[in-house]
Amino acid sequence: MTSPSQPGHWFEAQPLWFKTAVFYEIHIRGFFDGNGDGSGDFRGLTEKLDYLQWLGVDCIWLIPFYKSPLRDGGYDISDYEEIHPDYGTVEDVRQFIEAAHERGMRVIADLVMNHTSSDHAWFQEARSSPDSPKRDWYVWSDTVHRYEDARIIFTDTETSNWTWDEQAGAYYWHRFFSHQPDLNYDNPEVHEAMLDVLRFWLELGLDGFRLDAVPYLYEREGTNCENLQETHAFLKKVRATIDREYPDRVLLAEANQWPEDVVEYFGDGDECHMAFHFPIMPRMFMALRREEATPMYEILARTPDIPANCQWGLFLRNHDELTLEMVTDEERDYMYSEYAKDPRMKINVGIRRRLAPLLDNGRDEIELMHAILFSLPGSPVLYYGDEIAMGDNVYLGDRDGVRTPMQWTGDRNGGFSRADFAQLYAPPLMDPVYGYTAVNVEAQLRTPTSLLRWLRRFISLRKEHPVFGLGTYQPLEPSNRRIFAHVRAYEDDHMLCVHNVARSAQYVELDLSSYEGFHPVEIFGRTRFPRVGELPYLLTLAPRGFYWFQLVKDEDE
Amino acid sequence: MIAGVLDEQTLHDWVVEQRWFASKSREVAHLNVLDAVALREEEPQLQVLLLEARFPTGTHEIYQLPVGVRSSFDEGVIGSGDGRTVYDAAADPELTRELVRLIAAGAEHGDVRFTTAEGGPVIGTVSSSRLMGVEQSNTSLVFDERLVLKVFRRLEPGTNPELEMLRFLTARGFPHIAALAGWYEYEGRLVDATLGVLQAFLAGGRDGWELTLDEMDGGDAQWERLSDLGRVTGDMHSALASDATDPHFAPEEPSEESLSLLHADVDEQIERMWRDLPDDDERLADVVGRGEDIRELLHSLSSVASGGKVIRTHGDYHLGQTMLTDRGWVILDFEGEPARPLPERRRKRSPLRDVAGMLRSFAYAASAQALLRNTVAPAGWEERARTTFLDAYLEAVDPGLLPAGRGATDRLLSVFELEKAVYELRYELNNRPDWVAIPAAAIRRLLEAA
Repeated sequence: MTSPSQPGHWFEAQPLWFKTAVFYEIHIRGFFDGNGDGSGDFRGLTEKLDYLQWLGVDCIWLIPFYKSPLRDGGYDISDYEEIHPDYGTVEDVRQFIEAAHERGMRVIADLVMNHTSSDHAWFQEARSSPDSPKRDWYVWSDTVHRYEDARIIFTDTETSNWTWDEQAGAYYWHRFFSHQPDLNYDNPEVHEAMLDVLRFWLELGLDGFRLDAVPYLYEREGTNCENLQETHAFLKKVRATIDREYPDRVLLAEANQWPEDVVEYFGDGDECHMAFHFPIMPRMFMALRREEATPMYEILARTPDIPANCQWGLFLRNHDELTLEMVTDEERDYMYSEYAKDPRMKINVGIRRRLAPLLDNGRDEIELMHAILFSLPGSPVLYYGDEIAMGDNVYLGDRDGVRTPMQWTGDRNGGFSRADFAQLYAPPLMDPVYGYTAVNVEAQLRTPTSLLRWLRRFISLRKEHPVFGLGTYQPLEPSNRRIFAHVRAYEDDHMLCVHNVARSAQYVELDLSSYEGFHPVEIFGRTRFPRVGELPYLLTLAPRGFYWFQLVKDEDE
Repeated sequence: MIAGVLDEQTLHDWVVEQRWFASKSREVAHLNVLDAVALREEEPQLQVLLLEARFPTGTHEIYQLPVGVRSSFDEGVIGSGDGRTVYDAAADPELTRELVRLIAAGAEHGDVRFTTAEGGPVIGTVSSSRLMGVEQSNTSLVFDERLVLKVFRRLEPGTNPELEMLRFLTARGFPHIAALAGWYEYEGRLVDATLGVLQAFLAGGRDGWELTLDEMDGGDAQWERLSDLGRVTGDMHSALASDATDPHFAPEEPSEESLSLLHADVDEQIERMWRDLPDDDERLADVVGRGEDIRELLHSLSSVASGGKVIRTHGDYHLGQTMLTDRGWVILDFEGEPARPLPERRRKRSPLRDVAGMLRSFAYAASAQALLRNTVAPAGWEERARTTFLDAYLEAVDPGLLPAGRGATDRLLSVFELEKAVYELRYELNNRPDWVAIPAAAIRRLLEAA
């Protein structure tokens, strides 16, 4: 019998489940405090599963919960097979995964393979002596003049990718913070150690991993040390191991790169199952501000086809800054001037704000952005709190401003924790616009017109049409550049998605000649629109409005 | 080709006509055989087929179809060719008895496994087999008037609540069920799913719904019986909440937003329902145009601290799920509402949801007297049935499972009654327009009581 903790017991075999899934990203510290110590934990998260099931979430993505000194929000792991004591125990994780599976939801977790915390026992051992058996698990040098073509990623805090270690008497390599030494993937022992880490969590029932910082696993002189062939070879090895031992799991690559580089992470359908499409995201915000759809059409045109068993991960916002690495300098200046008016909102190469404040809390804009997101080829990834239009706190350090406590009710601590306010890991938002008295789950559940209720209906509607996850994408590019229109098609399901990114009402003439004789049926209200004829199809759209139509062929006409 | 005889089209044409095929209103794009497990090689052959119905949008459903193969056969024929006939095995007593034999033997064939329940009734050998009356979603077969096998047709991954609940209640010695004798399941790479459940058949038992209609005379015996039913229902809930160590059954505190989630759910049903409500139907006169009042009512009813506990419940509780036997009431059919997805049917809920289902059933019984029997229920029958059942229930059930105080209990009960009535309204409009007055009256009553 399949162990109940294994996903196989509660799901049909479906290696491509991720292609039609709605993902929901959770910062466990900020979701719900089950034991009243001021910090979110697995027991608290388990209590909120009914809510996530109600919302229509298919897969929960957890950012790191491993043992860590938390100098980089848990992306600095000091023991891969323990969890941070604030979050509970490994047994709590197992129970949480089983409870999620029982409700038809899967769980993936962040895994940082590139580096460990400098507190990790491996590094402590490695630095202790040049003869240590772990010495070669990290990358050491006597000089900082190696791999000089590799850029520095955390430009706000780091000046070099090399840091001198007194104890080791050598420099060690790190692509991120200096307390995060990179593992040495030229060492086969590191491969085995990392595969065992994967097995440990998959055995517990986890449905896969979002692989953090995946382009940087190898270093080679004379390259920028990103996206190297050796890195791809290792990922293929990981994939083959998982396919062999744990069916229906998923690897989601975080590779903040141009689409033509990211597709390399899919291999020939034998590397990662999913990868985030980073460049589309800032262009959606750009399109909205400039009131023209061109940036979206362009980046989609520039996006190569991917293997049939792979999928893009699409998102509006996540736990990191709104990254502007994948835009031109000019575009970046534009984005800063439009979306980061206060310099505190900038961090590294990006903007540390949540969705609602970025869109000036405009309900039409929030809905439109979700509609565009849901219409694109890929699987949407929602970020906790954005479903109720939570705000951010730019006065908190690093990216903590977008990781404040989930706002459940209008009661004390926003219903997040029974602890004293002073004990909370971060203050919940209390400002008059985004504070928990105004913005919370309970109030929105009870308000028929709330964003939360709207989004839930929208999610369930999208899930009735696998075409959004599986179908082809055909841009219509009408002459009115304020309109983002395309057709998605899968088997006999044809969806016409038309979005107006302008602040004013627009009309558009669409070339639907290949659908002559079809009737567009608007899918929220099931209203039948006039038949598509020989002439271009005329539609009018409200400011920031959108329509989704199912194109239905009438046999009897 | 199935057994070298059936092509996809033949199978397709046959399946979509079956009562148990859930998606009759939808076009099926493809019907595929995902797996065929041979349970018996010699004639008549027996195979379990796992079918996948794929719809034009790309979604799909999985069904179980046990088939027999003989050189010739007349019942339940799906298709013939090449000197062989493939047919629905449920129509062949020899093969249905084979399923029982496999359960008794604890057999295993490929990914299909048969299990005998510990402490259940003796299975032994069975000689006669008959199909029980028509059912919507499953096929039930009676053996020697002492065992009944329920064959699940639509399959969903995970353990079917019917099996889970019967095992739990049998293990805890709850007497008011038809004891579990065994089951069979598919456990393979494709899916883990319960295929069928064998349990005691209560010969001579009287269906609770028919009995209520037959003897709606207002006599003492009837009130006695309804009082017993309330007590048994309370005991059932106490038993379901009795094991804090089993995570699938341990009673839980409802989460803070559980009542809000319920409110949101019911509110959306009301909104959808009233948007589509025909405004020229006389029988709906009481409720047409009152959608907003009803949503307001829901809002006020559900704006209380929820309290109580959530537990595993029956899930589809009404008079038709009960049977009066010589050892008192027996509760049947623990699989929940078949139209809801399995994770939802397994969800822990307030036990008052079951209670509301039974109270609604009393309203149906009273009206059915006129609709089905051409007589009228005695004046005040429904009201007294409600009170009788409820008083006995509240006395029997573990009070810790309910909200504190009768007021809070009544309000939560009303929320569930409203939920049920809205669902009934939709169902009756689509299926039995003559019955719409029943849920309409319930909604009116809830509005008046507010």
